[in-house]
Amino acid sequence: MYNEVYKNLKVRKFYNQIYDWAKSLPENVIVKKKNEAENLFKKIGITFSVYNNFDSTERLIPFDMFPRIISSTEWKKIKRGVIQRALAVNAFLNDIYNSGEIIKAKLIPENLIYKNPAYEIKMIGFKVPKRIYSPIIGSDIVRINEKNFKVLEDNCRTPSGVSYMIENREIMMRMFPELFEKLKIETVENYPNYLLDTLKSLAPKKCNKEPKVVILTPGSLNSAYYEHSFLADLMGVELVQGNDLFVDESITYMKTTRGPEKVDIIYRRIDDKFIDPITFDSSSLIGIPGLFDSYKSGNVNICSAPGSGIADDKAIYSYIPEIIKFYLGEEPILENVKTWRCCEEDAKKYVLNNLNKLVVKEVHGSGGYGLLIGSKSSKKEIEIFRKKILANPSNYIAQPILELSSVPIFDKKKLSPRHVDLRPFCLVGADKTKLVDGGLTRVALNQGSLVVNSSQGGGVKDTWILNE
Amino acid sequence: MLSRTAENLFWSARYIERADSLARLLEVGYRISLIPNTERGYTNEWESILETSGIKNEYLKKYKTISKEKIIFFILFDLENSSSVKNCIKVARENIRMVRTAVTLEVWNAVNSSYHELDKNLKDTRNILKELPEIIEWIKKQVNLIRGTILNTQLINDGYDFLILGTYFERADFTARIINVKYFILLPSINYVGGDIDNFQWSLMLRSISSFRAFKWAYGGQEITYTKIIDFLILNMTCPRSLIFSIEKINHHLGRLSKFYKQTSTSQKKIGLMYKNIKNLSATKITDIGLHEFLKSFIEEINFVYKKFEQKYFFGSET
Amino acid sequence: MKIKITHSTTYKYSSMVPRLIQCLKLYPSVCDNQEIIEWNTSSSCGKILESHTDALGHRIQNIFINNFRGQLKITSKGILKTKDLSGVVKGLKEKVNPLCFLRETDLTKPCKNIERISIQAKKNNKNQIEFAHELNLIVSDSIIYESGSTTTSTSSKDALMQKKGVCQDFAHILISVARFNKLPARYVNGFLLEETISGENTTHAWVEIFINNLGWVAFDPSHKKCIDDKYIRISTGFDFEDASIIKGVKNNYNGNEYLNTKVDIQNCQ
Repeated sequence: MYNEVYKNLKVRKFYNQIYDWAKSLPENVIVKKKNEAENLFKKIGITFSVYNNFDSTERLIPFDMFPRIISSTEWKKIKRGVIQRALAVNAFLNDIYNSGEIIKAKLIPENLIYKNPAYEIKMIGFKVPKRIYSPIIGSDIVRINEKNFKVLEDNCRTPSGVSYMIENREIMMRMFPELFEKLKIETVENYPNYLLDTLKSLAPKKCNKEPKVVILTPGSLNSAYYEHSFLADLMGVELVQGNDLFVDESITYMKTTRGPEKVDIIYRRIDDKFIDPITFDSSSLIGIPGLFDSYKSGNVNICSAPGSGIADDKAIYSYIPEIIKFYLGEEPILENVKTWRCCEEDAKKYVLNNLNKLVVKEVHGSGGYGLLIGSKSSKKEIEIFRKKILANPSNYIAQPILELSSVPIFDKKKLSPRHVDLRPFCLVGADKTKLVDGGLTRVALNQGSLVVNSSQGGGVKDTWILNE
Repeated sequence: MLSRTAENLFWSARYIERADSLARLLEVGYRISLIPNTERGYTNEWESILETSGIKNEYLKKYKTISKEKIIFFILFDLENSSSVKNCIKVARENIRMVRTAVTLEVWNAVNSSYHELDKNLKDTRNILKELPEIIEWIKKQVNLIRGTILNTQLINDGYDFLILGTYFERADFTARIINVKYFILLPSINYVGGDIDNFQWSLMLRSISSFRAFKWAYGGQEITYTKIIDFLILNMTCPRSLIFSIEKINHHLGRLSKFYKQTSTSQKKIGLMYKNIKNLSATKITDIGLHEFLKSFIEEINFVYKKFEQKYFFGSET
Repeated sequence: MKIKITHSTTYKYSSMVPRLIQCLKLYPSVCDNQEIIEWNTSSSCGKILESHTDALGHRIQNIFINNFRGQLKITSKGILKTKDLSGVVKGLKEKVNPLCFLRETDLTKPCKNIERISIQAKKNNKNQIEFAHELNLIVSDSIIYESGSTTTSTSSKDALMQKKGVCQDFAHILISVARFNKLPARYVNGFLLEETISGENTTHAWVEIFINNLGWVAFDPSHKKCIDDKYIRISTGFDFEDASIIKGVKNNYNGNEYLNTKVDIQNCQ
């Protein structure tokens, strides 16, 4: 396992100052600062009415004060690699919804695309504005060793967590301004501006004035509602729900007290199937009837485009290196995690023989559904998965259980290492691709745990990219 | 501003005003229960409280008989009563929560803490009658705190207008209803209209709108008469609970919205007309028209104004 | 064969509908099996706006009406010249890969009975097209036609359980079993010229199955045959819900909706 702070019992150069600082903090100060951080979180949370003392619709995600540091050399590579993937993913989406060259070239099996429910046939042949399908991509990156960062997943639909990236920084700056004087740390505060610029650059065909952007949320009961309102506030755009919008004669409007106001770009944080009850799930109550028609008529843009989800399907993931080479003519800068596709006979055999050592994932799904972590599962659970794989091999992929790198946390009063990952947020606009120098570091707070998800004992850290 | 935002602001203020009105109604009930009275008069009074708050049917569906303890519980705590004080504060908070960033942090804190103290202070007690004064005090205090915070911290923009409009639409409706209910109960026969009235009952009514002392100041310590009461509750601009006061406020804020948005609206034209008419009225004229007739058409007109207002600003479908 | 069609749908609303949208897929498919001599869709209220042609070749039209009261009648009228191509549907203008129609939907999920039908059909080894015919025959006998016996949300599984259904259910069962056997299959809406006891016509539904070397071949399991020149193709999709020819949405409306469809199909030779 790679320790990001220590090398052969010595602290790495760029962690020196932080480490000394952390060691110098008296116990009572650590406790005090921890409380202070929590209070600051609550204060910001209360601004959006998410947290308060009595109830919280969203659990306060634990924040750890020890920052995660990435050197500028390391970051340059990650940045180039993430941007490369984001561009490739968009080229891929544009291709499979139009001419399908990559399939004709037999680089990806056609079954994998066409049988996949995430491949939205209503998008076929439609020219999305500026050919950008997925303008916001959050790639999950893990560090394996000194040299190697690998990408575990690219979230192409509506990646969340960016509000924590901004908020973590805000809290660290308020609590430890002296550290920011000593070290040169890249800022992340421009993210909302970049996001707004990116979205505005994707105005639909028939928009001939300053484009009007809104964020579409499923509502206050959604677990990411806090982030939706946080972003809307920082971008200075309206946070709307389905019922705030309507379509008349193929034009999308927002209901305002001044009367209907035309909307040009919708950054939607609702799933494809809920977008429009006429075109998709007719039982959707949070969608806007006629929105898809308005979209296809070039009157409004929906970001990300319906059907973008195919690109982050776990079955497609293993083809990302081929996708990069095919569209960009480049070698992948960041590696994928070794993946066995159970649809291939040899791979299936290997997987079935090594279930206790692997993570098995269901394709066409997102999140933790249908996941088996071999080393943490009972014999019975493993056997259930074995049967599932045998019954429908093409529905599964497997990956080795990764040893995530570690960074210390303030455990009680002293430092103690914990596993981390990293999610930077890449913005793909009409002519510019941007990545703020930072990201969300998620940390598994339980000792030894590799699960960084906030729902399963994960916390967050501020991520510092050094400007050397 | 999003229509939904305006709607949420409006309803949160409206529900807060409603909680206030209910507290005042219960105060009347409490006073009655302390004064020896005929059994019939007592029942009448509680019944009229239910009627004024517009929940008589709902109550009877659940409880069948008129009992003061049950009524107090129903009005204060019962979550099955969509207009209980508890529900009013809860709904007010939910509405504000939906548009959290449209109000100041102070306003949010005032509403939010009222909601959270609600359970502590509005607990369902065995001796409900005994604790009633304290509970009523608490509700009035919270409402005043919220309203004061709105006045002191909100930007005076369109959002502010929607908040104030919520308050006065509710108040106009409530005052009209309370006079109407009293009218029926106290003057069942046409012969009595304009004649001598039950001093005690009317003074209770003044108390229910917290205007008993105000009335004394306005009209001197003399006898309460029918015309004076009509004048005070309907036509007196110095009485913050009179109909004309609410109408003036609604007229003012709808006018501000029209100016702000540079658009005329049917609701504004109609309320302007109502205001002009009510200004030219006198207590004698109202008696000539007939108090009941007057109130009936008043309620119809204010509902019409509300419908048009709602269509224009909340639904975007004014026709 | 020359066929004249009048299709009208009447909607009645019990109270005012603040916003009403009707999305129409009412234009006959452009293909070699049918030639459109004339076709016109009109609405008693609101303009019919052309939207776009989707990837399956549907010409989509919309009607938007605000504050609607009363009755809305949408009428399509026209004359088509049809050809019998032995069930093969030729010259479709579509961009969708047939493999997309291997996906399961809620209305067409396979079940035990589908497996049973499938095993029965596999008995004699046949080529794809023979197998598809065999499936059509077995599905035709798998349930009994009974009008009104099912609803719009009845799945193939439900229909097989109760052993009766209408053309929609026959179609769903055939789709399920075809997809279960890795044959792409889809739902088709259209009209069938036929003599009925009542003299009244209705819309009809059948199935297209993709056969290598032939393309889409249309089977009508409720009539135990392939389509001929008495069939007019209007719309297609994964299942009944996806293929529906008129989809309406009423925003902020709590009243009732009454629906009445009238179809008149005549041979005009």
